[in-house]
Amino acid sequence: MFATDPMLQHETRRGPPQAREATAPDRPAGERKGRFEQVVLPHLDAAYNLARWLTRNDHDAQDIVQDAMLRAFRFFEGLRGEPKPWLLAIVRNCCFTWLHANRPADTVAFNEGLAELLPSEDEGPEALAVRNSDRKMLNAAIATLAVPFREVLILRELEDLSYKDIARIAEVPIGTVMSRLARARRMLADSLRAIHNFSRTQVHK
Amino acid sequence: MTLEEAGRLLHAHIDGELDVAKTLELEAHLARNPSLRAAGERLREMSVAIRDKADYHAAPAWLEARVRAAIAAEPGGATTRPSWPAWLNPASFAVANWLRPAASFAAVALFTWVVALGYMRPAEDDHIAHEVLASHVRSMLANRSFDVASSDQHTVKPWLSARLAFSPPVTDLSASGFELVGGRLDYVGDQPVAVLVYKRRQHVIDVFVWPVAAPKLDQTLTRDGFNIEHFAKNGMDYWLVSDLARNELNDLAQLVAEYSAGP
Repeated sequence: MFATDPMLQHETRRGPPQAREATAPDRPAGERKGRFEQVVLPHLDAAYNLARWLTRNDHDAQDIVQDAMLRAFRFFEGLRGEPKPWLLAIVRNCCFTWLHANRPADTVAFNEGLAELLPSEDEGPEALAVRNSDRKMLNAAIATLAVPFREVLILRELEDLSYKDIARIAEVPIGTVMSRLARARRMLADSLRAIHNFSRTQVHK
Repeated sequence: MTLEEAGRLLHAHIDGELDVAKTLELEAHLARNPSLRAAGERLREMSVAIRDKADYHAAPAWLEARVRAAIAAEPGGATTRPSWPAWLNPASFAVANWLRPAASFAAVALFTWVVALGYMRPAEDDHIAHEVLASHVRSMLANRSFDVASSDQHTVKPWLSARLAFSPPVTDLSASGFELVGGRLDYVGDQPVAVLVYKRRQHVIDVFVWPVAAPKLDQTLTRDGFNIEHFAKNGMDYWLVSDLARNELNDLAQLVAEYSAGP
């Protein structure tokens, strides 16, 4: 694993210090609440999007997000750096607690292999498969990815977060983020291509 | 950089994660190697397609109201009441940020109206009347009247009690022509409140309930075509809001006052 890969710029960059100002240790309670609403609440959609993709249903995502927001408020003093990855790390923890209790099969250990990292010569129509798939198909394919791959893909493509932020949220080294993302894209392309080929053969029968 | 390393860094490249030096090295490889270039293009197209087509699940509007209510109920949350009327408090201006576009138009109109009104008569009850009316209009605009949909008082009451620091009296009044259809949470007068939702013909009636220390004057108001009834009973403050005719809304107020008087 290339957890300390010096080729990635974020490895050498430290968190921005100015965001420390976001903490409010001894301010009056009302001001703390107002500040939370200004700083953290705007990321409620991102929190819900992550929880919804991890739990794959609305009802549980709603309960988890409410619980996570409350936790975030209680630990507001612990906010360092950007609020969005900080909040998403809390949401992700709540999701994993829920998954362990309710969907234990989703969280079993898996082989983190590197084989899929390298682009091969014969992976031809994978992008075509993604381009030609409709929304429903694509969403279903993402939903069937294993949780560790699904979460990095959602955080990268839908939340547009950097590897550094994703590493912080998923509690893995940056190199792992990169390899999981590569595998997630590969698996997604494979399953879409399979669906695509299947539906094509069905049509030609 | 070997070709193998270049292949490995393609993902980081399309994700904008490489520093300038590595980007230049990788681009040199891409220029020399058409199959690497094609692989990079495919990855980029795929990323665009996912961003374009995958569902983004935004939080439902009511979830934000519920989160705000839960935070307000936290110790150290809303314990310090502002000395200004709440509608002058900067924190309440933040409300405009989270309203969904359709609702925000109504909210802005109401806000303008309440500010103008506030200058004339800055009474607390006016402010409450504004808030309950705004909540009612917002829920109608968002087409989301309740968090728990049930005509069964034994479902609605525990649902509300579990989420609030008090237990509001709940009764189905179908027999009297007011059907209980559900309940929701909202945030009024700096506190989380229960809202019971009744229906009569096509009219939706919101009954806001929260505990009150001192009994207040009953009143009947008409605002922007909506009727508002206010009374306090058994330690609870009740605000009824609807576009229902005034005499019918008053009937419901009587019924609610009767059942909330308790056995």
